Amino acid sequence: MEQLSNLVVSEGELGNIARVLGRLTLDTAASHVLLLDKSGQLIAAQGQMGQRDLIALGALLAGAFSSSRHVAEILGETDFRHILQQGLHESISTSLIGEQWLLVVVFDKQTHIGLVKVLARKAADELERVLERVRAGGGRAKEQVINVQFRNSVENTIDLLFQD
Amino acid sequence: MALINVATREIHCNIVYYGTGFCGKTTNLQYIHRHARPEARGKLLSIATESERTLFFDFLPLDLGAVHGFRVRFHLYTVPGQVLYERTRVAVLTGADGVVLVMDSGADKLEENFQSLIELETNMRKLGKDLGNFPFVMQWNKRDLPDAVPVATLDRYLNRRRVEAFDAVATTGEGVFATLRAICKSVMARL
Ligand SMILES: Nc1nc2c(ncn2[C@@H]2O[C@H](COP(=O)(O)OP(=O)(O)O)[C@@H](O)[C@H]2O)c(=O)[nH]1
Ligand SMILES: [Mg+2]
Repeated sequence: MEQLSNLVVSEGELGNIARVLGRLTLDTAASHVLLLDKSGQLIAAQGQMGQRDLIALGALLAGAFSSSRHVAEILGETDFRHILQQGLHESISTSLIGEQWLLVVVFDKQTHIGLVKVLARKAADELERVLERVRAGGGRAKEQVINVQFRNSVENTIDLLFQD
Repeated sequence: MALINVATREIHCNIVYYGTGFCGKTTNLQYIHRHARPEARGKLLSIATESERTLFFDFLPLDLGAVHGFRVRFHLYTVPGQVLYERTRVAVLTGADGVVLVMDSGADKLEENFQSLIELETNMRKLGKDLGNFPFVMQWNKRDLPDAVPVATLDRYLNRRRVEAFDAVATTGEGVFATLRAICKSVMARL
């Protein structure tokens, strides 16, 4: 049985995503721009940061966002579609894309928050179109990756690595 | 949800450890973190209240390295067990590709375990996922307790679906990796 929730990102669509993130990085002078699944999975990123830190950042930001939505509920709001974490030097803007993804911009005090908000909104709209397309048409690309040899190798690797 | 990135050749899957407060979810992740191969394990993050109870989640990324040219990663999450945090549990379940239900074998915990199973089933249904058709294993934890309920009894009341179930003592690591291997394989088999 196949799960319906897989997201299979092809080379071409990742290029489209990278273009949008690249432009946003440039226009906001951001140090990092991240595209996440709402569960915290990193789909794509721009900027210099080790993979391990990116993965941790993704999980934590998704957690913060989810917790803010519960706050919204308690206030009788349907949603906070955008949250801002403001530091002395660096700030983080997180916006919801559609219902399933998050766009994160890490920027410093040189950049005006208002600009980040507007440009992130525009980028989010563009990304939503790409991501909806990715979600709709992923099945074929998957077949090329997940074959019998792959499945066997994964099982062996799991047995090898996950033992006392 | 699983993310298959054909362009960067990466596959990520999320596994959630579910169960009542104090059943041993965090202890499972701590053991895995301490004993997994250094090249496979990432940072263990715990978002706890000041009293150290899990507030939002524990999070442990595991990296299988390259498999047939694809980098495979499992992200393990625990959810807070307290009744208060049901909405947080739903949020974390949204992204789950597999679930481990950890059950406390203590005699006084049977009813709580049962409630936790019912809640899990309900939450999954809300999310459009059918637990009967989803990567799902159980763990009978705290088998070392003197008043531990016999496994046959736990099986009868808590495992009507007859999913794979593992005896465990998370504090010593018994059964921890067996549980992890089973859920990881089950997730990959359904990818
Ligand atoms: N006797 C015994 N205690 C355990 C076992 N697993 C966990 N514990 C203890 O149970 C308590 C709660 O464990 P924790 O992992 O924090 O539970 P969580 O709320 O599910 O994350 C801790 O004091 C653990 O040391 C076990 O297998 N046997
Ligand atoms: Mg815990």
